[in-house]
Amino acid sequence: MAYVAIRGGADAIKGSARLMDALRAMGASAPLELDQIERQMPLLHSRVLSEGGLYHPRLASLALKQSLGDSLEAAFFLRAYRSTKPRLGETAPHDTRAMRIIRRVSAAFKDIPGGQMLGATPDYLHRLFRFELMDEGAERFADIARDWFGDRPGAQTPTTFPKVLDTLRAEGLLPPLADDETPPFDITREPLIFPVPRSAQLSTMARGETGGLLALAYSNMRGYGDVHPTVGELRVGYLPVMVPHPVTGKPMEAGEVLVTECEIVAMFEKADSGAPVFTLGYGACFGHNEVKAIAMAVLDRAISVAREKGRIANPSEDPEFVLLHVDGIESMGFCTHYKMPHYVTFQADMDRLRAARAKTGEAADAPR
Amino acid sequence: MSVLDLPRLWRPETHQALFRRILDVAARPGQIADLSDLLDGRPAALAALATFCDNTQTLADVSGALSATDRAFLDAATVAPERAGFILAAGAEAPQFTPRLGALDAPEGGAVIVVTVESLTEGAALALSGPGVRDTATLRVAGLAADWLAARARWCADFPMGADLVLADPARLAVLPRTTHIKGA
Amino acid sequence: MHPVDAMGQDRDGAAYGFAFLDEDAKRELRRAIFKAVCIPGHQVPYASREMPIARGFGTGGMQLTLALLGPSDCVKVIDQGADDSVNAANIRAFFALTCPGVTGALRTEAASVIQTRHRIPEQPLRADQILVLQVPYPDPLVVVEPNAARRRRMHGRADYARLWVKLYEDMVAFDEITISHRYPTRINGHYIIDPSPIPRWDVPKLHRAECLYLFGAGREKRIYAVPPHTDAIPITFNDVAFAVESFRDRTTGKRHVCRRCGADDSFLDEFPDEDGVRVFQCSDAAWCAMRLDRMEAAE
Repeated sequence: MAYVAIRGGADAIKGSARLMDALRAMGASAPLELDQIERQMPLLHSRVLSEGGLYHPRLASLALKQSLGDSLEAAFFLRAYRSTKPRLGETAPHDTRAMRIIRRVSAAFKDIPGGQMLGATPDYLHRLFRFELMDEGAERFADIARDWFGDRPGAQTPTTFPKVLDTLRAEGLLPPLADDETPPFDITREPLIFPVPRSAQLSTMARGETGGLLALAYSNMRGYGDVHPTVGELRVGYLPVMVPHPVTGKPMEAGEVLVTECEIVAMFEKADSGAPVFTLGYGACFGHNEVKAIAMAVLDRAISVAREKGRIANPSEDPEFVLLHVDGIESMGFCTHYKMPHYVTFQADMDRLRAARAKTGEAADAPR
Repeated sequence: MSVLDLPRLWRPETHQALFRRILDVAARPGQIADLSDLLDGRPAALAALATFCDNTQTLADVSGALSATDRAFLDAATVAPERAGFILAAGAEAPQFTPRLGALDAPEGGAVIVVTVESLTEGAALALSGPGVRDTATLRVAGLAADWLAARARWCADFPMGADLVLADPARLAVLPRTTHIKGA
Repeated sequence: MHPVDAMGQDRDGAAYGFAFLDEDAKRELRRAIFKAVCIPGHQVPYASREMPIARGFGTGGMQLTLALLGPSDCVKVIDQGADDSVNAANIRAFFALTCPGVTGALRTEAASVIQTRHRIPEQPLRADQILVLQVPYPDPLVVVEPNAARRRRMHGRADYARLWVKLYEDMVAFDEITISHRYPTRINGHYIIDPSPIPRWDVPKLHRAECLYLFGAGREKRIYAVPPHTDAIPITFNDVAFAVESFRDRTTGKRHVCRRCGADDSFLDEFPDEDGVRVFQCSDAAWCAMRLDRMEAAE
């Protein structure tokens, strides 16, 4: 491109890029391998997968590496990459009963069909530092692997489990699942113009930023809202992705994606049948991210209950307030933009302030 | 068929060039876009549709002017003219439909109607004014039935609702946005 | 290998096409632009793809420019009137990377497409030029009505009474309309637009111009347009004239001039120099450079 001499701004940008790289390379540590990020920081990695809205584990690791660990930036990388990928097709809705479970718990019942499967979770561990981790060598990983796999018998537990909430449905305490053939709203192809259908609500939150969703859900839990949730089921596992065969159209498994899903049971209300039933909130996202799935389920119920009652009493119940402010890429971008030059508008502001001050000065000086 | 084998009319670089010319004349009603160097003999009306249509759009081919191949390339879903985002109609035949006119809070829903005419360089002189026109401009059109202008006046009477017309002779386009005022029509 | 070909090559071999966006995205933008021109001042919604540059940094403007550009175009990018401002430099580099064949210009008169943030060039633009403005807030009614659906209906009916009340409240409080930038401007007698954070100085340039103005809000997902030869009137009261910045010194009453080229008819940046002295300089770098060139040629 026949652009003229590089001047100040462009030079500074080049320097900035080089400095970022220099910061990464300083010190005695070896360059991060993508595997290390995916394997040893899987929960951070999961955040990026779900907030980026693109299930590409290798690129999610690269995004974290390239962005020096900034999860907002890393999600942005993935989202921008995804943005121009060609649309090959759409799958049919997937049933998460097919999930190959690695963790599954319910707060609603002491025991559930298939059992409470704690899985890998820090929930009940003590948050005390294990200082021996400061000096881990590679041989320690080999010991851990030997210890875990050594005498382990072959898999005895089933890999798929029924849904806890099906027992509530069977008893009529939850309304039956609606058979809805409406195609889901595509938030990547249409802007949100309110009111939006529930599919737009859920998909926006599915790639929403974890902290944003958490703050809004927390406000509802603390009292700026009425959801009072009980976790009916939280499950984490690998969901087979079924893609229609290009020739026969038959659904074929193309691979599996790690998904977290949370169904909360909330306050009961009158159903169409007349008898009261529990209400349901739903949250699901790529990767292992329980806080996000629970927050999402609470907000799903909060927005739905406000819509049903026709009354918004709290920010977490307002679909515009929630859905327009939880996207990390949009919020981070706009927040960051305030660092850009704004001196022309500031100049214009100074002009107005001086004019207004002059008027005040004239009024003060005017003879009474 | 790779991108390199596509006929000229269906290539991305052609659509970019077409769009710039269509945009210029949409912003300046009364001016004509000559597309002959881009068309390889295909009709300008088809080029206008090719610029905007894909599988997210709906199209009504009122007089059945499109071939099966062209319809496949346009990839738009075929619907009745009352529901279509894009309509292809013949200027010689008076319109027998009311197109989508959009809504007060979503006027962009009004249809784009591509109307084929005999000529945009000779014929009846239309006196245009409104946005995009410095004072007044004259557009010559041959082969546009009088009913079209009367229908357009009805459709566009309630701004911001209305439909936007693209007039097409074999090699040229002119645009009549809903805001253009035609004297006497 | 051309930078664009190298840029898109990941291990799976997929590459980016010309102007980064896929054809579906470009077509959607082009449909929205067409509608925006047919309904001057109306904010047309669109999907708004994420770009590799953050929201808030001009993704709306960029999407418009990328939908417009062809290999024979010449593009200029300015921010606060300056080509070498970091944001403009960054966007220009992106166009260079993704649009092989497109040339770049610093001189306003050389460009066919100009993308700008917060300024309109001092040089009047021609009919063969398009100005693309980056917009953070597309809707002037947002200050008086938080609900989007209600705002859309108000716009449809050209019901701007609440906006007038807001201006009136300003007058009562300060005896001045305090809006400094984003001055509400009525297009073709119907829609009132937020003309983006351009100063009042630039608003008159929208009125009955030769060129097409396109406005892109990426984060808010709206596109609007002011066609050439179209009325664009900043709203005010019958007895309160619309006034641009005067750049008049309060004590001497004299109009400040650019310290580089001496211009007394351009929008000036005011800032403290190395010694803390207040200085003034043309905000439009190309305008200043052109004036300097002319002065040099005359000598």
